[in-house]
Amino acid sequence: MSDSEFDVVVIGGGSTGTAVARDCAMRGLRTLLLERDDIASATVGTCAGMISSGLKYRNEPDIMELCSEEVVHFNHIARHIMMKIPILAPLLDLSDAASDSGYIDAYSEHAEEREVPAMMFLTPEATLEIEPMVHPDVIASVYYEEFFIDPFRLSLLQALDAINHGAKVHTYCEVIGFEKTGGEIQGVVFYNRITGTTETVRTKLVVNATGPWAHKLARMNDSKLDLRLNKGTHVILDRRVVNVGITARALDGRWVYLFPHENTTLLGTTALDTWEDPDRLVASFDEIEYLLQSIEAVIPSIRESRIIRTMAGIRPLVPDWKVSEDKVTRGYQIVDHENGMISFTGGKLVMCRHMAQDVTDLVCKKLGVKAICKTHEKPLPGNEDDVDVESLSVEYGISLHTLERMRARRGTDIVKILELTKEHPEWKTTICTCEPVIEAEIRYAIREEFPQTLNDLRRRLRLGTGPCQGTSCTYKAAAILSEELDLEGDDFLVDILDFKAERWKGIRPSMRGEQLAQEELAQGIYTCVGNLDQSDVDYDLKPWEEGA
Amino acid sequence: MNEDEAFEYVKGTLRSERITPYHPYEIEVVRSIEKCINCGLCINHCPVVAAVGIDRFSGPRSIAVELSRSPPEYWSTADIVYLCTGCGTCREVCPKNVDIPEVVNLIRARIFKHRPDLVPKGFYVVQEPLTEYNLAFQPWEDKEEKSESRDMRLEKLGLPYVQDRVLDKAEILFYPGCQAEERAQEVREAAKVILDYFDVDYTLLDEMSCCGLPARLMGDDQTARSLADRLKKKVKKMGIKKVVTTCAGCTSNLSDLSYYFDWGVPTVHILEFLAEDIGLQRFGEDMANSSRLSPVHVTVHDPCHLIRHTSRQIMDYALEILREIPNVRVTESEAYDSCCGGGGLVSYHSRDVADAVVKENIEAIQKTGAERLVTPCPLCTAQIENNLFKSGSSVEVDDLTVFIAQRLPKKG
Ligand SMILES: Cc1cc2nc3c(=O)[nH]c(=O)nc-3n(C[C@H](O)[C@H](O)[C@H](O)COP(=O)(O)OP(=O)(O)OC[C@H]3O[C@@H](n4cnc5c(N)ncnc54)[C@H](O)[C@@H]3O)c2cc1C
Ligand code: SF4
Ligand code: SF4
Repeated sequence: MSDSEFDVVVIGGGSTGTAVARDCAMRGLRTLLLERDDIASATVGTCAGMISSGLKYRNEPDIMELCSEEVVHFNHIARHIMMKIPILAPLLDLSDAASDSGYIDAYSEHAEEREVPAMMFLTPEATLEIEPMVHPDVIASVYYEEFFIDPFRLSLLQALDAINHGAKVHTYCEVIGFEKTGGEIQGVVFYNRITGTTETVRTKLVVNATGPWAHKLARMNDSKLDLRLNKGTHVILDRRVVNVGITARALDGRWVYLFPHENTTLLGTTALDTWEDPDRLVASFDEIEYLLQSIEAVIPSIRESRIIRTMAGIRPLVPDWKVSEDKVTRGYQIVDHENGMISFTGGKLVMCRHMAQDVTDLVCKKLGVKAICKTHEKPLPGNEDDVDVESLSVEYGISLHTLERMRARRGTDIVKILELTKEHPEWKTTICTCEPVIEAEIRYAIREEFPQTLNDLRRRLRLGTGPCQGTSCTYKAAAILSEELDLEGDDFLVDILDFKAERWKGIRPSMRGEQLAQEELAQGIYTCVGNLDQSDVDYDLKPWEEGA
Repeated sequence: MNEDEAFEYVKGTLRSERITPYHPYEIEVVRSIEKCINCGLCINHCPVVAAVGIDRFSGPRSIAVELSRSPPEYWSTADIVYLCTGCGTCREVCPKNVDIPEVVNLIRARIFKHRPDLVPKGFYVVQEPLTEYNLAFQPWEDKEEKSESRDMRLEKLGLPYVQDRVLDKAEILFYPGCQAEERAQEVREAAKVILDYFDVDYTLLDEMSCCGLPARLMGDDQTARSLADRLKKKVKKMGIKKVVTTCAGCTSNLSDLSYYFDWGVPTVHILEFLAEDIGLQRFGEDMANSSRLSPVHVTVHDPCHLIRHTSRQIMDYALEILREIPNVRVTESEAYDSCCGGGGLVSYHSRDVADAVVKENIEAIQKTGAERLVTPCPLCTAQIENNLFKSGSSVEVDDLTVFIAQRLPKKG
């Protein structure tokens, strides 16, 4: 394939863009994905990863049906990165119960397809046995089950699968303009942040999958796209503090939740119409307090749990105005600007494959290509088979838990990493102690999954996402990255600063309790010992850093 | 589905997702683990890490920041969590008081429920008698033989036999624990000699039953709880004021049970009882009259379950008590408070690890030049005695209760 001529250029490497690139590539289109930063570096990385039944959209039966179908598909193509979470909605007074019967029917309608039970009521005794942290005055609870996915791995696996099917994926390439003839897009101009050069590729069509930036890309193409941008924040707690997911009515009557997620717990989420720059976004004090107070009504002791950080993202909603956020459709729209660009508004993680299917159908139609969608049939990399970590642990002499965590990221591909340890037994060393991540996986990821920075490694490996938030792994991982990518000493330090700054962005807004002790230790290591605050490398403070 | 059927269904999902909900009393443990700041201080103090290396046992830090974070994955820690002896050294040095030994129990309990195939097979030797006889050891088949064995031990040690006392009501319950009940009978007898000597109003249980610690350590929570309940009922019914034990494990476990399940009755080790209830002065005065005091040079081993799970005060008492016995010279071993490797049921499945841990103690004991080692726990006694013997050492080991009883004057 030529490196400068494509059938379709997909802009944006979130869940949507990677899904589109995968579908296009699988249908044989010459595909290029351009991502300004890293795969899953924006909205998708701040979401809860719920592959939801669509429960909240009971007024949109077609969306609920679509969600249910997608759950079935993801359980087929990506089961190795999926989890099922049992959920309780504790009811503290009868009016809660009465007002919610609509949800129950709506959820239950497609439950069978998803192989989960219809919603059920539980007694207060049963509720408290399942989750003793629930308020003792609970009068009943509603029980249901939902599926969750690792949104980082999903996006990355979609990108890798696109590459496997012939697509090109360029990260750190920001689209800055379009070459047009007669109002029609002929080429895409982008700035390559790694090489520092501006490049142009020719293409027949462009799919604008830039989430909350979609209107800006449209504008670059002299088109208008309206979006309703809506900020959402999560508070992340250390480890799984609840036995099951908990949902509850927030202070303002919306629903909030406490979901076990991987080895943490997510408390979310807020929904605020926003006009902020997504690149400078941080959680606000009000949001954190709103979430804590809302969940406190049903889990009174929640503040005793350790908060490690926050994360905030912007939902690119369909532009329904003059209604409250929760009345806005959670469906998506495909907007054909009729000038070579097709944009999305709306959508969800759970729908990304479906969005891709729809848009690729349109792309194929426009290009006169006849090819059918197979993205729901073919497994994503690693989901080809079951993995027996117990025998692998014996075979390779690596602890079971290390392998189980690795399996949850990689499925059958785990063996490729383990093979590396045959020649390099020293790569069995644990680098990130919290997740954990061993050196072999870091080296493998650097070689096969095109990361450029420590933050990219974090998205691929969960490096530094545990309770210590990179206190113990950053230097070690940076050394490996520098060796593999042949980085200069200054780049090494800047990368450490970038990584710590990114962690700080989430830690700072919610910092309290036990995390204070953690930060003190981190400070001791990185400033008192590492002298990073005195470093004279060329580093610009981030907008959320002190003194910026 | 009605609510009961619904609950049954939910239990099924929890089982298939490998979730056993935390009990309210376990939440305290989880909170404690959340405090870990990954400073790594504990690693250098863990005796198992020191003995077998971090590649075999990833150590307390990894238990806190890695292995204990997600209950559905607890099964995958089975190659590590059974190697913790529960000595509590990590917890003692941790700047955040992270309760590693308890989270290990909490994890083991989940593996026991969800992946019994990963529970070390060696544990079933303990589990069988526990569920069948409420004891950690197979009881003697022939009661005659048991008495003969006891008498032989008494004779060898020069201890008198004091009749068993089982009363409906008494001030004190003497609770020997399984090891002293079935194996180290001399310890049980020695305690009776001491209690009898000081005219203590005590009783034994009509039928000895285990405190449940071994069940808890192997993760069999259900058995642990039913044994604890059984004991609680008996203790409550007898209306006793205090439980006195001779075993470090029983002391700490019964104290925990009493705290978490409102027994309202404290448990003390017989050393505490001597120091606090009998009084060191009276003890010393009586000892001064003893005729059985040939000079002896000893060194002392501190059981983890006393110093780290209960209180270091108890071993301070031990030294004070030894000081009150004339002709006893004590030399401190460099490894006096280092775990003997006998804890956490490690020796039941990984003898090599338990023995690697005790090596440090053995070397340090030899260095003291003492002729005897004393320690107030029949389990430590057995573990250290075996390993001293294997290493060809001539140092003899005494349970401290026996050592004291041997030196008491004849009751007159
Ligand atoms: C708090 C929160 C919770 C959520 N929870 C869920 C949930 O549980 N389940 C669910 O289904 N959905 C959830 N969502 C919604 C879901 O996350 C989003 O709808 C979805 O992930 C958006 O993905 P995306 O790929 O469209 O956008 P993004 O992930 O934002 O990707 C857009 C990409 O475009 C890139 N880009 C921008 N401009 C350029 C340019 N000029 N050149 C090149 N690249 C560019 C950006 O760098 C970015 O990587 C949640 C959203 C939020 C905010
Ligand atoms: S309790 Fe003892 S053996 Fe277990 S981790 Fe802590 S120090 Fe190590
Ligand atoms: S358990 Fe305690 S000593 Fe060990 S790493 Fe954590 S905070 Fe440090």
